[in-house]
Amino acid sequence: MKVRIKTELCQGHAMCWLACPDVFRLSDDDGHAYVTDETVPPQFEDSVEMAERSCPERAIEIS
Amino acid sequence: MTDQTIVTASKQCPIAFDHHAPEHATRWAEVFKQMREENPRPWSENYGGFWVASKYDDILNIAQRPQSFNSCKRFDPATGEAEGGVTIPPFPSPRTVPSETESPEWDGVRKFLNNRFSPKAVDRYRDRARHLTTALIDRFIETGTFDVVDDLTNPLPALVTMEMFGFPLDEWPIFADAIHKMVYVPRDDPEFAEAIKGVMHFRTRVAEELDLRRQSPRDDLLSYFAAGQIDGQPLDLELILNISVNILAGGVDTTTALTSNTMVYLSRHPEKRQQLIDQPELLPRACEEFVRYFTPLQGLARTAKEDVNLNGWQFEKGDRILLAYGSANRDPQVFDDPEEVKLDRYPNRHIAFGAGMHRCLGSFLARMMFQTMVSEVLKRLPDFQVEEEGLRPYTSVGNVNGWIHIPATFTPGPKLGAVIA
Repeated sequence: MKVRIKTELCQGHAMCWLACPDVFRLSDDDGHAYVTDETVPPQFEDSVEMAERSCPERAIEIS
Repeated sequence: MTDQTIVTASKQCPIAFDHHAPEHATRWAEVFKQMREENPRPWSENYGGFWVASKYDDILNIAQRPQSFNSCKRFDPATGEAEGGVTIPPFPSPRTVPSETESPEWDGVRKFLNNRFSPKAVDRYRDRARHLTTALIDRFIETGTFDVVDDLTNPLPALVTMEMFGFPLDEWPIFADAIHKMVYVPRDDPEFAEAIKGVMHFRTRVAEELDLRRQSPRDDLLSYFAAGQIDGQPLDLELILNISVNILAGGVDTTTALTSNTMVYLSRHPEKRQQLIDQPELLPRACEEFVRYFTPLQGLARTAKEDVNLNGWQFEKGDRILLAYGSANRDPQVFDDPEEVKLDRYPNRHIAFGAGMHRCLGSFLARMMFQTMVSEVLKRLPDFQVEEEGLRPYTSVGNVNGWIHIPATFTPGPKLGAVIA
């Protein structure tokens, strides 16, 4: 599973970070989310999927 | 997903919709349900005319397109007339910043404010919020009666906000009262004018305290504003005042309303209250569910900057649109069983904190204050019961879905020795 944040849509709701803080981090600068690695470790695949479904901006893309 | 088949009413077929009417306040969820099902994009002739966006997707699409739908407000202090802005009708007061601004002005201001309200920044106030909640509860815990609004849910957010600003805590009633009244009192009621005066008084106090902070800075918002720079320039006084009112208006009464509604709900649904007592780890998800279900800030407005067609909805330049977040959060296309409260609902992509660039700056603060108040109540007065005959909800939920009075009783308990200081 790969995950990507569409930065032009992210507004820093931080629902992804709440869903899976191991994969999603919040920038100190503006509170927007980023991922350190686009490849999702298998044990986090479920939470990352929930994160995608939790984003009000639909800013998370899973492939 | 586009849906060109959604019914779009025309301005020639207006509906009699007034989000401020008492009839709407008593049954807003049913009104919006019917609207979504039968006439989801209606035009109302009230307040100079406005569209109502009732479906989640429409609201999200509009909120994500600030280049076409903006939030700016013009205010003439000489006449008291306001135009545009994020409320319908606009408040007769200066524009709030950054809510009622657009890019590029918005960018620098929002960036300046973001890390004072980030999850990390908010966490620094958690202990103080708990201390102040404990102190508030101490004031009535031995009596067995209290008013949920006057004694807890109104003071706590006001106190925490005052503390973040760096105001002396004893001034909180003036500011909390002004915002509280401003959002539900009818415009022609003399109390509304008093409320506006209260907001102007807050602005005067901010200006006074700013001068003191320039001389002796502290770690508070006023010092941050006094010493700060946006786009390489110090902040001028008018900007600081408009930002301060935005923070006050955005975060005080809304958090009060969320917690008030939740307290009434838990009193009426003891089995859900017991679920929270037995499983305190549910509180974060329950918090999101209550935010979704009550949507304290029921709706905010946008103005079409140009003629634009959005998924079959034709707007004319200047059209006002009410984004009915309260309706979005009950949309069955997004939420299973939307009219039900499910404490463990997950995922929960509600837009009660808005969407797009103007997404609520204080969302993490709101959650922290709400969870603090609820967990302390469940710890110290878990058997509280509201007195149904004495309940007084807001007569208008056009701005905030809140309560005026919630008298309640409970089994008395001991003070813990905390004071408001």
